[in-house]
Amino acid sequence: MAIADAVLRDRMFHRIMRGLIDTGSAPHHAELARALGLGLEEGRSLLHDVMRAYPIGWLHPETDYIASFPPLNNLPTQYRITVRSEQRWFAQCGFEATSVTWLFPGETVRVDAPCLDCGDPVTLEMRDGRIVWVDPPGVVGHLNYGFGPSRGRPPFL
Amino acid sequence: MNLFRSEEHARRWPAFQARSEEGFIGLVELAGFFATESRHHMLDADYLSTWYPRRAEERRAYLELIGKTGPFWMGTPDPGTA
Repeated sequence: MAIADAVLRDRMFHRIMRGLIDTGSAPHHAELARALGLGLEEGRSLLHDVMRAYPIGWLHPETDYIASFPPLNNLPTQYRITVRSEQRWFAQCGFEATSVTWLFPGETVRVDAPCLDCGDPVTLEMRDGRIVWVDPPGVVGHLNYGFGPSRGRPPFL
Repeated sequence: MNLFRSEEHARRWPAFQARSEEGFIGLVELAGFFATESRHHMLDADYLSTWYPRRAEERRAYLELIGKTGPFWMGTPDPGTA
C-alpha cells in the first residue's frame, strides 16, 4: 500500500508540475483526480498528501487551491518568468527563480522583477542552469530571514 | 528571498532585517545553490519520491562548500536568538 501511495503521489506531483509548465497555472484537484482515475475526494486528499510531502510549496490557507509549487508560483509574485517570448509564469521567490531553468531544458528562461528598494528592473536570463545575461551586473540574492526556525511564514518569503 | 540590484539596494529596503546582513549571496553562488543534482530531475516521474528527499543534504553540502555554515543559512538552532 505504501508503495502504491508513493506512486500516486509521484503521478500527481508530475501532473501539477507539468500543468504549470504547459499552461502557467496549476490544475485543480478535480482535474487531477479525473486525470489519475480517482474519485473527487480521493483526489483532494491526495493533493494534501502531495503538499505534505513537498512542504516547500503550499495551498492557499484554508482552501484546496495550490498557491505555491516551487520553483513556480500559481499566485503571481514579482518574479515574472518569460520563455519563448511568453510571460506566462511566476517564480515562488527570487531564489527559486534561478531554478526555473531546470523546467525548460534547452530554452532561455528570463526573470524580470522590480527591485524592492527602488522599483527599477532586475533582469536575469539563464539557459540550462547557466547565467547568460544579468542586468544590472551587481544583482545579488538576499535572504531576509534565516532558513529553519527563524524563517517566518511561508507566504511571506 | 529576493533579488536586488545591489547590496546597497537591499539595505535600503524598508523590510530589511539587521540580522540578514549575513543573508547576501552572489548570483553565481545562488544559481549553484539551486542547481544541485536533484534539481536536474524535477521533470522526472519519480521526482517527489526519489529526488526531492535528497535535496536537503545537497543544500547543506553546497552551503558548506561556499562557506555559509552558520545557523542563519543552515537552519540549525541559533544560540544567539534562543
